[in-house]
Amino acid sequence: VTPDERPFEELQRALEDIVARLERGDVPVDEVIRLWQEGDTLYRECARRLETVELRIEELGIGSRPSGEPEPD
Amino acid sequence: VKVPHTIVGDRKVFSVSAFNGGIASWLARLPQVWVEGEVTELKRVDAWATVFLTLKDPGGGATLRVTMSRRRFDALALGIADGEKVHVLGRAELYEQKGDLAFRAVTVERIGVGDHLAAIERLKRLLAAEGLFAVERKHPLPAFPRAVGLLTGSDAAARGDVEKALASRFPLARLVVCETRVQGAGAGEGIARGIERIGRHPEVDVLIVARGGGSFEDLLPFSDERVVRAVAGSLVPVVSAVGHEQDTPLCDLAADARASTPTAAVRLVVPDAAELRARMRMVHGRLGRCVRDRVARDRERLEARHRDLGRLPSLAVERRRARLDHAGARLQAVAPAATLRRGYAIVRHGDHPLRDAATVAIGARVEVELATGSLAADVTEVRPEAPAP
Repeated sequence: VTPDERPFEELQRALEDIVARLERGDVPVDEVIRLWQEGDTLYRECARRLETVELRIEELGIGSRPSGEPEPD
Repeated sequence: VKVPHTIVGDRKVFSVSAFNGGIASWLARLPQVWVEGEVTELKRVDAWATVFLTLKDPGGGATLRVTMSRRRFDALALGIADGEKVHVLGRAELYEQKGDLAFRAVTVERIGVGDHLAAIERLKRLLAAEGLFAVERKHPLPAFPRAVGLLTGSDAAARGDVEKALASRFPLARLVVCETRVQGAGAGEGIARGIERIGRHPEVDVLIVARGGGSFEDLLPFSDERVVRAVAGSLVPVVSAVGHEQDTPLCDLAADARASTPTAAVRLVVPDAAELRARMRMVHGRLGRCVRDRVARDRERLEARHRDLGRLPSLAVERRRARLDHAGARLQAVAPAATLRRGYAIVRHGDHPLRDAATVAIGARVEVELATGSLAADVTEVRPEAPAP
């Protein structure tokens, strides 16, 4: 499976569409599984991307303290 | 009076000596009077029996020759000198040999305080009427004079005070000193000339006329008409620091400002360098504070933005995370395995899941998929429509 190049927001919308369709219950059962698997993949991709961003935020020290000031005791 | 004469034709003719003698005897009948004037050209010589002097009106300059017996003059022991104002008692007298008119004095008195006061009062009214003391005539003192002129006697105290005050207060200004006699005969004229001379100095922007305290007579020259006119007509503003507070010589009235002492005069004519420096420091400090405050405010704003900036990425991630979690939970809820675990089953006939009972015949073999494992089952009955609940 090639990594999805679409932006996060698009992936999230796709995931939510799938969830909504599955919740309506009008999806054929075979389709259900395929759709669910697709949703699951989208979910994992989204979660992975969020983790990456969180990691970057931590690496850059964003929001931990103002730059150039000593860390408060 | 019988004056000898000769008759020539129809003329009555006098000899010079007869004429002079006649005039002299007429003059001798005039009464004794007091004459007031300034003493000039006083000549007293031990070898001479007569003392000569000339009386002069200080303003107009009219003169009168005065003679007096040396014995009488010496007996008075006045020590009178040129330039002094005196009252002389005497009468007109003709020196018959020459036909010269003179005033024969019997006594001389130095003018009294009351007379001086009256004379000053008269002069004051006269000059006031001319407008010499008018406020409109006063000039403002310069803020930063290049040089300060000082007219004073050879009185070391006043000069020293001015030098010291100037050095401590505003050393940038040069001091130009004119020393002159400030009391006694001829002082008025000298002071007036000094004021004119120092006013023409190219760098002098203001002039202090200083004289320490003294007796009423000592300060008289500073009420001399020539001095008052010189002060009023000075090319540069004049500060008068003459005598003590209670003395008001006329030059005070004509001056542009008055100071009680030479030191006070310096305070009037130059700014205080220390005060200027202090003010500059204060302004500079305020300027620095303004800049620092401004920078501090900007920094604070920047920090606030930076804090926002720090929060926002995490916040954005959190929001998306919450939304994703929500979607994830919903996805789990509709997962096929979860449905089977709740007791549902998938029934297949061949490759197709069954939705309608009517699509299978009795005896057909179907596969039933459960949460765990599956069954193979044969259809024994078909009920095409579900009974109404």
